[in-house]
Amino acid sequence: MAEYDITEKLIPFIDKHLAFPVLTHLLETALFPEEDVRAAQYELAKTTNMVDFTVQLFQQLYPDEEIPQEFADKRDQALQKAEQLETDAQVVLEVIEREEVAQALRQDKIQNLHYLKENYNLTLDHIQALYTFGQFQYATGNYSNAAEYLYHFRILSTDADLNLSAHWGKLACDILFGQWDTALEELNSLRETIDSRLGSAAANAPAGPNASSEAALAQLQARTWLIHWSLFVYFNHAQGRSLLLDTFLSPAYLNTIQTSCPWVLRYLAVAAIVTRKSANATSGRARHALREIVRVIQMEEYQYTDPITQFLKELYLEFDFDAAQKSLAIAEKVVENDFFLWDLKQEFLDNSRYLISEAYCRIHQRIDIDDLSSRLNLSQEEGEKWIVNLIRDMRMGADAKIDLEKNIIHINRPPAPLYQAVIEKTRGLAFRTQALGAAMNRKAAGETMETGEEGKNKGKGRRTGAQQPSQPAAPSIVATEA
Amino acid sequence: MSRFFRTQNDSSSSSESSDEELLSSGEEAPAQPAQPKQPMSRFLKTAGDSDASSSSSSSDSDDSDDDDQPAPVAKPAVNRFLRKNAGLGGGSDSDDSDDAPKIVKSAKDKRIEEMQTIGKAIDNAVKIGDWNAASTEFEKLGRLVQRQTGVSEPVPPYWLRAIVSLETAMSATKEKDSKKKLNAAATKALNGLKQKVKKASKEHEELIKEYNKKKAEEKYIAALAPPPPPPKEPAPARSRVAEAAAPGEGPDFTTVGKGGKGVQHTQDTVLKDLAQVNENRGKKNTDRVEQVRTLERLLAVAEKTYLRIRVLLALISARFDYNPAATHMPIDAWMSAQEELDQLVRLLLKEPAYSVDEQVDVEYDDIIERNPKDHGDADGIVRIRGSVISFVDRLDEEFTRSLQNTDPHGTEYIERLRHEKILYKSICLAELYFERTSKEDPRARVIMRRLEHIYYKPDVLVEALEQVNADADSIPALSLRASGNPQSLVHSICILLYKTTNPVLRTRAMLCHIYNHALHNEFYTARDMLLMSHLQESVHSADIMTQILYNRTIVQLGLCAFRCGLIKECQAILQEIFATQRVKELLAQGLHQQRYTTLTPEQEKAERNRQMPFHMHINTELAEAVFLVASMLIEIPLLASLDTEEAKRKTVSKSFRRLLEHANRQVFNGPPENTRDHIMQASKALQDGEWQKARDLIQSIAIWNLMPEAKSVKEMLAKRIQEEGLRTYLFSNAPHYSTLSLELLSRIFSLSLRTVTSIVSKMIWNEELAASLDQASGVVVFHRTETTKLQQLALALSERVAQLVEQNEKTLDNKLGNSAAWADRGDGKGGEKRGGEVAGGGERRGTRTGTRGALRGGARGRGARFAQGLGGQVAGARAVRA
Repeated sequence: MAEYDITEKLIPFIDKHLAFPVLTHLLETALFPEEDVRAAQYELAKTTNMVDFTVQLFQQLYPDEEIPQEFADKRDQALQKAEQLETDAQVVLEVIEREEVAQALRQDKIQNLHYLKENYNLTLDHIQALYTFGQFQYATGNYSNAAEYLYHFRILSTDADLNLSAHWGKLACDILFGQWDTALEELNSLRETIDSRLGSAAANAPAGPNASSEAALAQLQARTWLIHWSLFVYFNHAQGRSLLLDTFLSPAYLNTIQTSCPWVLRYLAVAAIVTRKSANATSGRARHALREIVRVIQMEEYQYTDPITQFLKELYLEFDFDAAQKSLAIAEKVVENDFFLWDLKQEFLDNSRYLISEAYCRIHQRIDIDDLSSRLNLSQEEGEKWIVNLIRDMRMGADAKIDLEKNIIHINRPPAPLYQAVIEKTRGLAFRTQALGAAMNRKAAGETMETGEEGKNKGKGRRTGAQQPSQPAAPSIVATEA
Repeated sequence: MSRFFRTQNDSSSSSESSDEELLSSGEEAPAQPAQPKQPMSRFLKTAGDSDASSSSSSSDSDDSDDDDQPAPVAKPAVNRFLRKNAGLGGGSDSDDSDDAPKIVKSAKDKRIEEMQTIGKAIDNAVKIGDWNAASTEFEKLGRLVQRQTGVSEPVPPYWLRAIVSLETAMSATKEKDSKKKLNAAATKALNGLKQKVKKASKEHEELIKEYNKKKAEEKYIAALAPPPPPPKEPAPARSRVAEAAAPGEGPDFTTVGKGGKGVQHTQDTVLKDLAQVNENRGKKNTDRVEQVRTLERLLAVAEKTYLRIRVLLALISARFDYNPAATHMPIDAWMSAQEELDQLVRLLLKEPAYSVDEQVDVEYDDIIERNPKDHGDADGIVRIRGSVISFVDRLDEEFTRSLQNTDPHGTEYIERLRHEKILYKSICLAELYFERTSKEDPRARVIMRRLEHIYYKPDVLVEALEQVNADADSIPALSLRASGNPQSLVHSICILLYKTTNPVLRTRAMLCHIYNHALHNEFYTARDMLLMSHLQESVHSADIMTQILYNRTIVQLGLCAFRCGLIKECQAILQEIFATQRVKELLAQGLHQQRYTTLTPEQEKAERNRQMPFHMHINTELAEAVFLVASMLIEIPLLASLDTEEAKRKTVSKSFRRLLEHANRQVFNGPPENTRDHIMQASKALQDGEWQKARDLIQSIAIWNLMPEAKSVKEMLAKRIQEEGLRTYLFSNAPHYSTLSLELLSRIFSLSLRTVTSIVSKMIWNEELAASLDQASGVVVFHRTETTKLQQLALALSERVAQLVEQNEKTLDNKLGNSAAWADRGDGKGGEKRGGEVAGGGERRGTRTGTRGALRGGARGRGARFAQGLGGQVAGARAVRA
C-alpha cells in the first residue's frame, strides 16, 4: 500500500505545522516503519518553536539518551522573545480594544492609520509588532492567539505582502484549530487575493517578458499551495466536497493541478464520486464533473495514476468491468489509509458501486445478478439487496425488472424519442443568444465609458456601465457597489 | 545564277556582297526598278544587311567586353553606341588592371571619373531615345552613389545632375508624344526609369532644390569636388608585384620593387602593412587572393600576441570575401578560415590580457602596437575591435550554404558533411571562450548554433559529434561528459538559453527542445511544452526561419504521436501541415511550385537560402504515409457511422477524403505501387471488413522501415486496424442484424472477447451505437429506430441552429478578444449553471485573470485544443511564404 501513499508529495506544499497531523496519521496507518515517521516528526519539530513538543518527540525517539542542553536554551530564548514581543504587541492591542477606537475605525485603512497616529501615537512599526508576535505565537503552536493577532494586523496593515502572509497564517491557524467555517471564509478570500494578484503585479511591473512570467510562476506556486491547504478544509467542512469540485474544476485550478500537482486528482476524483448522490438533485452537474475528471485523468495518465484514477479510467474509458472491480478493491484500501479520505471510505465505496452498476445497466440488457454482485465485491445476498435498492433509487422501476426464477435483471430501455433529442439540442440556445446580446450591449456601453479611463479599471467600468442598458434595475446595483 | 540566289548571297556577308556589287553592278542597276515586283528579296536583303552590320559590331565589341546589355532595338546606331558605352563602363576591369601600377588614383577620384562617364552615357542615351540603356546606366550610377554615401562622402553632383536632366528629358518625351515610336521594350524601360528617377529625386529632394538654385553647375561641382589628391606612394601595388614574383619565400625575403626599394615584412611593419591591406579591402580592383596571401605572410611574421590577433582578425574576414557570383565559399577557403578561427580563439583563451570586442570605447591607433602594460584598460586588458561571434556565425552559415548547393546524393555532399565535426569543434571552442570571458550574449548565440547542430540528431550521431569534446583538454561547461546522455545535453543547453534576454533565441531553443523530446518519443512532455509556450499564438509574427522550425517541430511531434500509437493526436497535428498541400515548402525542403504566382528572383533567392540542408530533412513521404494511415483509421469508421449523404460531407481530413474518392472512381485497380495506393486499397478493404487484407497492405508499405521502431509500429498498426475494423463492421452492418454474437465478432477480428466487449460497450456508452449487451447469452442486441423524413429534418434543423449560436458566440469572442469567458459558457451546456447576470460577471473576471496567468498555469483545455488541431496554425504555416 505504501507505494500509493502520496504524503511525500503533499508535504512540500503544506506548512510545517499542517504536516504534523498528516504525519501522526501515518503513524496510525502503520504503512511505514514507526521510527522513520517519528524521526520525520522530530526533524520537523526541531525547526519550530514548539520546544516541549520537540523534547517529547526526542524522548520517544531516543528513550535512552539524555535530552540535549540546546532544547533548554532554546526554550529560554523563546520565552524571552515571547515576552518582549508581547509587550510590543500589547501596546497596539490596548489601543484597539478601547471602545471609542473600535467605533472610530472605518473601512479606509489609510484614514485609520492617520487616526491612530494622531490620537494614540501608533505607527506602522507598532502594528508590525502584531504580525511578528502572531507569527511567533504560531511558531510555538499557540494557534488561537496567533489567529487573533493576525486578524487584527490584517485589519490595520497596508502592506500587501505582509497582509498576504498574515492571510496564510490565519488560514493555517483556523485549520489547526479546527474552525472549518472561518477557515472556509479565509480560504475563499485568500483565493480571491491570489487570483487578482497577478493582474496588479503585472500592472506594477511592466518590465519585460521575464517579469510577467515570474509573476505567473508566483501565482502558480500560490495556487498550488492553496490547493493543498484547502484539502484540509474541504475534507472536513460539511459542504466541502462539492465546494472542492467547484474550485478545482475551475479552469485556472484545473490547470494548476495538471501542471504542478497531478496527485491532487485523487482527491478530485474521490470528491466527484462521493458527491454524486447529493449533487444528483442538481441534475447533471456531478456527471459533468465526473466526465471532466475522467478526461483529465486520461490526459495526465502519463504522469500520475493511482488505484482511484485507475478505477475511473477502467470504468469510463475502457469499460472493462473486471479491471474496474480490481482497482476498486485496491482503491478501497488506499482511501482507508489516506489522511484526508479515511473518513469517506464507506461513502466512496457505495458510490463507486453505484457508478459501476449504473454504467453496467446502461450498457446491458440482461444481467446475471450473481455476476453483477461479484463485480461489486458483494456476496450474492448482499448483492441482491443492493440491486433492489439500486433499482428503487434509480427510479427505473419501469425499465428494470428482476427475474428471480432465472436470477437475472431485465432492463428494458426504449430508445429515446426523437423529439427529445431535438428538445435537448435546442435547450439553452435562447438563453445563450440572450447572453450574447447582453454581452454586446455591455461592450458597446463599456466602450463609450472607457475611452478616457485608465486601463486598470477597465473591467469594473465595463461592468457597471454595461448593466444600465440591459437591466432597468441596474441603478440599485450600482448604488450598492458605490 | 538566278537573281534570287544572288540576293541571298548578297545578304549573307557584306564583304562578299561588296565584291559582287562590283561584279554585278551592271546587272544590279536594271534590277532596281524591278524590285517592287520582288518585295521578298528586298526584304531579305535589307534584313541581311542589318544582320551583317550588327554581327560585325558585336564581334568588335566581343573583345572589349562581354557586357550583358540586351540590344533589342533594331537601330544599328544604338548598337554602335552601346558598344562605346560598354567600352567606357565595363572596360574598367581590364583598364584598371593595366593601368594600376602606373597611375594610382585615389578611390574617390576613380569613383568620380566613373560617374562622369556614366553621366555622359546617360546623356547620350537620352539624346537618341534609348531608354533601355539610359535605365541601366542610371541604375549603375545609383549603385555607385549608394556606395559612396556609405563612405560618408557628400552626394555627388553628378547624381543630382543626372536626376534633373533625366526628369526634364522624360517630361519632354512625354510632350512630344514620342511613345508611339517606341517599341514595347523601350516603353517598359522608360516607365521603369521614370519610377527610379522619381524615387531618387525624392530621396535627395533638398539637395536637388539646392542644385536647381545654383544654376551655375560648374561652380557647384567645383565646390563639392575635392582638390586633386596628391600622388600616393604606390606601395600596395608594388608589394603585390613583388610578392607575385617571389611567392612563399619565407618571412625574410627581400624583393626589389618597381621603385627600386626593398619590400620586407618584419615585425615592425606588420601593422603598417595590415593597415594597407585593410584600406584596399572591398575595393573594386583588389585581388582578393593576393590579399589573403599577403595576410598569410604577415601572420607568419607576426609573433607578438597583439600582432597575431590583429592579423588573424583581418585574415579571417578576408577569407570570407569570396566572389559574390559564387553560390558558396570555396571549401579550401572555408577550411583555412575554420583553422584560423580556431587559432584565434585558442590564442585568446591563452592570453586573457587581450580581448576582442565588438565595441571598444577607447580610440586606438591602428599603427601602434599595444600591449597590456602600457595600453590596457583599467583592468589591464587590451581590447581590440572585432567580433569572434560573427566569424562563428559566418562560418556556420557558409557551411550550410555549401551544403545547400551540393548535390545531396553525391559523395561530395558526404565529404562536406564530414566537416561538420570540425565546425562543431570550433563552435565548442568559441563557446568555451565566451564562457571564460563571461560574455553572455555571444555565448547564448554560439550555444544556439551548437544546439542547432544537435537537436534533430539521433543519440548516436550526437555522441559522435560530441567526440570532439571528449579528447579535448578543456571543454565548455555543457558537454556530453557532464550531462550523461544526449537528451540531457540538449536539455541543459535549452535551460541555459531560456535564461537569455533575447526572445528569438528563447523561442528557437524552445522549439528545438520540443523537437528533441518528440524525437525521443516523449510525446506528452513535448506536447505540454508546446502548449504551455503558447507558441502557436505568436508564431505567425515570428521570422520565417523560426516559422520553418516551428513547422518542423509540429511534423516531428505528429510523427512522435504516431510512434506512440496516439493516432487521433497524430492526425490532428499533421492535419495542419498536410491540409495545405505544400508540405515541402513549409518544411523548407523544396521550392514552392509556382502555379498561380511567380516569384521575383529575389524572393526565389531568399527562399533558396532558407532551404534546409538535405541531412536535416524530415522524410515527407514518411510523414505523408503516417498522416494518411492515421486519417484512414479515423475516417473509415466515421464514414461508416454516418448514414446521410449530408453528414458525410463533413470531413475530418479533406485531403484523405479526396484521395479516397479518387480511388473509388477508378474503374480498374492494379496492384498497389506507391504508398498512397497501398493506403487507399487498405482503406477500401477496411470498409469492406477485410481487416487482414488492410493490415497486410499497410504493413507491406516499404517506408515504415525508415522509422526507428518499425516493428512495434507495425504491430500497433495491426492492432488498430483490428479495432477500427470491428467498429466499421458494427457501424455498417448494424442495420442488417437484430443480434450479433460477441463471440463471433471476436472470432472475425481475432480480438479477445474482453476487448470486443470493451469496444462495444464504449460505443454504446458514447451513444454511437443504438444497442445493448445481453450478458446471459453473450450477444449484442441492436435497437433500430426508423426515422421519418420529417424527424430527420427536424434534427438537422436543430443542429444547424445550435451551430448558428455557436458561430455567433465564436464571432463575438473574437470581437471582444476575451476567449475564456465564452468558452466557459459553451462548456456548461445545461442552462442551469449560470444563475444570473451578476454571477456571470464574476465568473468572467475569474477566468480573465486565468488567461493572464497563462504562461505556465494556463495550458487551458489541453485536450480540447488538440482535438481541434492546435488552433489556427494553418495561418502561421501559410505565412511562411509571405
